[in-house]
Amino acid sequence: MVKSIAKKEFVSTLRDSRFVALSVIVLLLLLAATIVGLHSYKTLQAERDTAQETVNDQFVSAADRHPHRMAHYGSYAFRPKSSISFLDFGMDSYTGASVYMEAHRQNSANFSQAQQSSSLIRFGEMTVAFVLQMLIPLLIIFLCFGAFTQEKETGTLKILLSQGISLRQMAWAKIAGYSKVVALVVAPALALASLLLFGRGGFELGGDVVIRLLLFMLFYLVYFFIFIVLSVVVSALHQRSSTALVTLLGIWILFCVITPKAAANLGANLYTTPTKAQMEADVHEEVAKGIDGHNSQDERAEALKQELLEKYNVETLEELPVNFDGILMALGEEQSSHVFQEHFDELTGTFEKQNSISEYVGLLNPYLAVRHLSMGMAGSDFSHFIHFQKMAEQYRYNQSQKLNHIQATQLKYGDKETRLSSETWKDFTPFTYETPPAGWALGNHLLSLGAMLLWLVLVSTVGIRLIDKTKVA
Amino acid sequence: MEFVLEAKQLSKVYQDKLALKGLNLQIRAGEIFCLLGQNGAGKSTTINLFLGFITPTSGAAYINGLEVARNVTEVKKYLAYIPENVMLYPNLTGLENLALFSSLAGFDYSKEELMEYLVRSGLPAEAASRRVGGYSKGMRQKVGIAIAVAKHAKVLLLDEPTSGLDPKASNEFSELLLRLSDAGTGIFMATHDIFRSKEVGTRVGIMREGELVDVLPAADLEANELEKLYLNHMHI
Repeated sequence: MVKSIAKKEFVSTLRDSRFVALSVIVLLLLLAATIVGLHSYKTLQAERDTAQETVNDQFVSAADRHPHRMAHYGSYAFRPKSSISFLDFGMDSYTGASVYMEAHRQNSANFSQAQQSSSLIRFGEMTVAFVLQMLIPLLIIFLCFGAFTQEKETGTLKILLSQGISLRQMAWAKIAGYSKVVALVVAPALALASLLLFGRGGFELGGDVVIRLLLFMLFYLVYFFIFIVLSVVVSALHQRSSTALVTLLGIWILFCVITPKAAANLGANLYTTPTKAQMEADVHEEVAKGIDGHNSQDERAEALKQELLEKYNVETLEELPVNFDGILMALGEEQSSHVFQEHFDELTGTFEKQNSISEYVGLLNPYLAVRHLSMGMAGSDFSHFIHFQKMAEQYRYNQSQKLNHIQATQLKYGDKETRLSSETWKDFTPFTYETPPAGWALGNHLLSLGAMLLWLVLVSTVGIRLIDKTKVA
Repeated sequence: MEFVLEAKQLSKVYQDKLALKGLNLQIRAGEIFCLLGQNGAGKSTTINLFLGFITPTSGAAYINGLEVARNVTEVKKYLAYIPENVMLYPNLTGLENLALFSSLAGFDYSKEELMEYLVRSGLPAEAASRRVGGYSKGMRQKVGIAIAVAKHAKVLLLDEPTSGLDPKASNEFSELLLRLSDAGTGIFMATHDIFRSKEVGTRVGIMREGELVDVLPAADLEANELEKLYLNHMHI
């Protein structure tokens, strides 16, 4: 029974020229978004690879320099794009692409695509995720709004039921048929994406990328299934196709337009973030209160000086077996990093709280749930960005302290003239960044994962039970 | 002989409106019962109760001895239904529509068998492979009949099936009903068509405001007598 009706829905839909035209448009958009996304990915990745290689070369090939000058010379960390990010740009366009790593300062990532683009980017980008999240549900609504209402309007519902099929069997059969139709529209684009990902090179392929891609696809399949069941249930609860369509479009607007904006505004209002100027002023003040790394008159610097003089039982800094400047720099770096890190953690904590509002709203809205999961799997969410920032900061801190150690052990106190050989810099390992594993990414979105599963269970149980309330006569 | 269709004190009330009042009716295998009545008299409500699409307020409907309200799915095995306007699925051919509905009833016919049902129901063979969207009402009705016939049901429920059909199609339909009756199918037909009721009916019932006010053997009446009687009942 189920197979027959599912086949009928599939065949009947494929023979509907209006729906075929709509599907072809959506499929072309998906294919175009895949190709454009890939092109954008390759261009950006090539730019970042080149830039990273250049700054790494510049560092290791730097001229003879004093180690502290080298610490200020610094380096850059360019954030490599995740292999699957061409399917979902997520926050990548708005978060910075590079971090300037220098002594004493923890800089935030700069040079986002949005900063370098025209205002048109505010209208959003045509990505595969946009088509999957926004347009496919619309296509599903146009496909399914008449699932039951058309049967009622034409009287075929009574004939079908008189043949012995139940309303629930009919609903599952229709869901199966519509799922096949949606798969026909989505599968070519996802197959193309997989082919491009695994067939053409240029990607850092590995088991993790495969897992991420499979989970990415799985989450969207669940999302589409939820929309299909929801549309069929809404259709069953209405008597007329027009009212079912209006209800479903209302749900789409609520899910895809109103609640995401409302959640973002709510988050921003509940958890306010300091301005960049305010945060820098606070950090500066807190760093100035302690050692600033340059001012040996500072009280804590004096305490350190006295501690070292006593430890080595000498009278002057010149008599110390180690370079006091280097040790002072190292301690200054440690304290300023601590202050920066505290403020950075506080700020990211606020952003995470803002994001959590959106994740909680995902319990009421599967669009938000899939959006978070999609960005997570694509490696283009806030968590991945923060992970990169932390890795860059770790590298910056270690590099600064390594240079401070060189100053402390290889140069004498007060020596600001000696230049270390350029060969010294060749010992420094260049910055590299590894995208964290899929499990880590998923762990950041357990609430959204739960929301998706909850929706799946709810529409499949409560939703289908509601179909029993369908008025046949 | 067992009754293939039976109503015992069958009543239906919609909110405050009495749609069917204490219907008592028995139809035997091979019998054609025609129910005449104005729009809103309760004919469709009676059919919906036999189909199990609505539940009775009191009393019970039986198909092949099974109480419909308690055996909603089971009774569907024994009945077939043809509505006033058989719309079917316009993007499928006549053959595909018949194959679909037959498979839902548990019959997996070959293409040749399906074609035979369609042709026997009066559909031209060349039309069977065309999409139903291009069919006339009469052609769609014939596919509807083929669906009912292919199910080999013991009871056939017809809701104004000849409404809108041309005389030739109506006549062909009558002949088909008689053939089904001869084969032992019990038929319940709600209709406005007095002439057709007299022509094919074994008995004719007249329903007014939810009440079966008269039941007459069709063979004992002339068509004009039946018309007079019907009009008398309607104007009381």
